[in-house]
Amino acid sequence: MVKKRKEAVEVTAPQEAVAIESSTCDDKLRENLEEIKNYDGVVGYILRNTTSASIDLKEPAKIVDYATLSSTAFAAAEELSRLFEFGDVKDIVVDGKNLKMLSLAVDENKISVFMENNADVEKVLKKLENV
Amino acid sequence: MKSMDNEFCASALKNTLDEMQRICPEIKATFVLDQNRKLIARGVNTPENTLPRALEVFDEVLEKAEAIGGVEALTVQGTDGRLSISYVDEVYLVTVTSKKADLNYVNTVTRVLVPTVLKLVEKIGSASIKRDMPTTEPELEAPAEVIEEPKASLVEETEPEKDEKEAEPEQKLDTTFTEPPVNQFIAEEIKGLLVSSDTVRIDNSVIEQWKELYEGREIEEADVETFAGKSLRCKVKPIKDGKFEGQGKIQLPNKLLLVLDIKKGELVRVKPAIE
Repeated sequence: MVKKRKEAVEVTAPQEAVAIESSTCDDKLRENLEEIKNYDGVVGYILRNTTSASIDLKEPAKIVDYATLSSTAFAAAEELSRLFEFGDVKDIVVDGKNLKMLSLAVDENKISVFMENNADVEKVLKKLENV
Repeated sequence: MKSMDNEFCASALKNTLDEMQRICPEIKATFVLDQNRKLIARGVNTPENTLPRALEVFDEVLEKAEAIGGVEALTVQGTDGRLSISYVDEVYLVTVTSKKADLNYVNTVTRVLVPTVLKLVEKIGSASIKRDMPTTEPELEAPAEVIEEPKASLVEETEPEKDEKEAEPEQKLDTTFTEPPVNQFIAEEIKGLLVSSDTVRIDNSVIEQWKELYEGREIEEADVETFAGKSLRCKVKPIKDGKFEGQGKIQLPNKLLLVLDIKKGELVRVKPAIE
């Protein structure tokens, strides 16, 4: 049985009801995300698949905003890829003034990692691609 | 961007994007959006039919990205290429490159060319304002003169003639979206212990006019420019001392007089700083 993290929060993404569910996530992916969470500058992550979502963020007040940004970024990337024909989306990096977000899909799982601007995106990306 | 002529800017950017696509054929599409996410220019090989939908998509992402402080850059890596958006000098530059593209080269081209052109356009824009100014040496005793604003509007502040007031906003709107109004003032030194070293003071009526022009926006800063070409952005507040009101004077602390290299009695141009 997987221990539920105390920061994990249930969210409802737009048009898609999601609940906390850890057992369906790939163990290796979860393990890597736990490790990534301890990287310098990483403030948390959102892990989503078709049936569940797991969110671990240092700023619970921002969960809905971050979840919306994450799902919008995935949808936008797909649409832009279709419009400009640059193939299947591998990853998305959004650099904001306050934070940056790295999003990518690993099998059925859509992951967004939020980090401070000085954090090492490449390191996080490599770790997630190694699943 | 704020003071440049939009058409001129769009044309310059269009040429730049065209040139970028010519020297770097791996750039499959490129276009530039303004701060309001409206299309300013697109490169010659950029498919036009994709843009309306792409703009909608960008709009949505850029809006949601407010959660992380707004987008400074965005990259979508695909298996056959990548799309990137970068916020440069108040515009969003979008480029789509093919898989074969040398990203260092593309980045060098895009991140150098576009900002350079934007800066150049802005410089040319302000130079053309200077060219429009009278070439004769202005008399020091000359009262403050509103260059782009009809002086009558100053009078209207004190004479509440209904008809004139109603007619005024239309005239002003035309000037608002082309160039900020430029006013001339005679420099006056302001002294005192409580004088802020980064603030200039001008007639409140002028600040009120600017506010009206920009639909009630607070005007907190202004660009002060000397006839020798030195310019400075500083905070602007109304003149406190009533006896200096309506004399066409600008009160500057000694520090700013030194920075601008001017003396009391010299003429300066002042325009509101609108971001």
